[in-house]
Amino acid sequence: MASKFCRLFRPIAANFARTRFLQQANVVTQPCRNNTQSTGTTTEKRPTIRAPDTLMRKTLSEFGQYVAENLPKYVQQVQITNTDELDIMIHPDGIVPVISFLKDHHSCQFLNIIDLTAVDVPTRQYRFEIVYMLMSLRFNSRIKVKTYTDELSPIESICSVFAGANWYEREIWDMFGVFFANHPDLRRILTDYGFEGHPLRKEFPLSGYVEVRYDDEVKRVVVEPLELTQEFRKFECSSPWETFPKYQQLQDAEEVPMNKEGNKPQEKK
Amino acid sequence: MASSRVAVIGTKQVKPILSANKTEAKRRVLNLYKAWYRHLPYLVKDYNIAVTVPETKAKLRELFLKNKHVSDIRAIDLLVIKGQMDLVETMRIWKQKTHVMMFFKDTNIKKPTAFLSRFYEGHD
Repeated sequence: MASKFCRLFRPIAANFARTRFLQQANVVTQPCRNNTQSTGTTTEKRPTIRAPDTLMRKTLSEFGQYVAENLPKYVQQVQITNTDELDIMIHPDGIVPVISFLKDHHSCQFLNIIDLTAVDVPTRQYRFEIVYMLMSLRFNSRIKVKTYTDELSPIESICSVFAGANWYEREIWDMFGVFFANHPDLRRILTDYGFEGHPLRKEFPLSGYVEVRYDDEVKRVVVEPLELTQEFRKFECSSPWETFPKYQQLQDAEEVPMNKEGNKPQEKK
Repeated sequence: MASSRVAVIGTKQVKPILSANKTEAKRRVLNLYKAWYRHLPYLVKDYNIAVTVPETKAKLRELFLKNKHVSDIRAIDLLVIKGQMDLVETMRIWKQKTHVMMFFKDTNIKKPTAFLSRFYEGHD
């Protein structure tokens, strides 16, 4: 009896909830869900691999502006990549506030941490770029939050916000040597005990510094300095897969204008 | 203008990792050294390695003195953190004999450089 009643009631309740939520402003991907079919015919006919979704870009840029307005102290730049992904560049002091805003705010609800990684660009003043990728199941949307640091500046851990970030931060510590302050259990995760250096840094040679072999005399595995040293390495940050040169030229991300008042001057890069 | 900018850069505050000043950093280093030093007899016993305790003490001293040129407080702190992690890995016997013996480098014998000794070794 109860289940029958529920079956009768559920469509009404769902409909009610949907209409109520749709009235909110600045919800992440709300118009896309209703209008993708109608705008599909008016997109530009540039010969690219993937046609840009103009409506999605518009919604994402509006949402990016909304985030920038809410956190003017920390957001330095908002941009949309050519694959229609929203990037939010923030100051390293604001990691915990920004991530908890994106997680807890009702019109964001990025409750899942997809990945957390770093990029090493040695030519920059702050050589490491830390990238947080979040997903909102509620609004079917993804977001990238980027910040920066160098070898010696600690980054605030977000384990208090996302417990799932624990191992990702350990991985970054192990691979890049970026120290996370207030991490509950920061230790190596991928490299062997006694390993020296951080393998994903650009100055780390591809072959490593040591070689490992079993020595029959001492009856154990021994670690010795590498004989085949790598002499010279050219750092290239561009993709080695030059399959679609025309597509590569479009790679530049488009910056979203944000109205900032009383904001700190940008010190990024 | 230029001089004021230089002054600003000169007094730029950086976020400390652990220590706020040099004495604190030094104390951390000494504490880490003492912790390692006290653990060395147990290390020799636990891992059953063919090294005497005085040898391990000499090695500990050598490894600490290897970084004596480091003067940046944050760099010192990072080294202390790494040393602390290493100590924990050693104390809890997460390591194996191999990893402990990596400190001593007992198998990598220096390649002879003199002409005749190279000839005896069979190198070109």
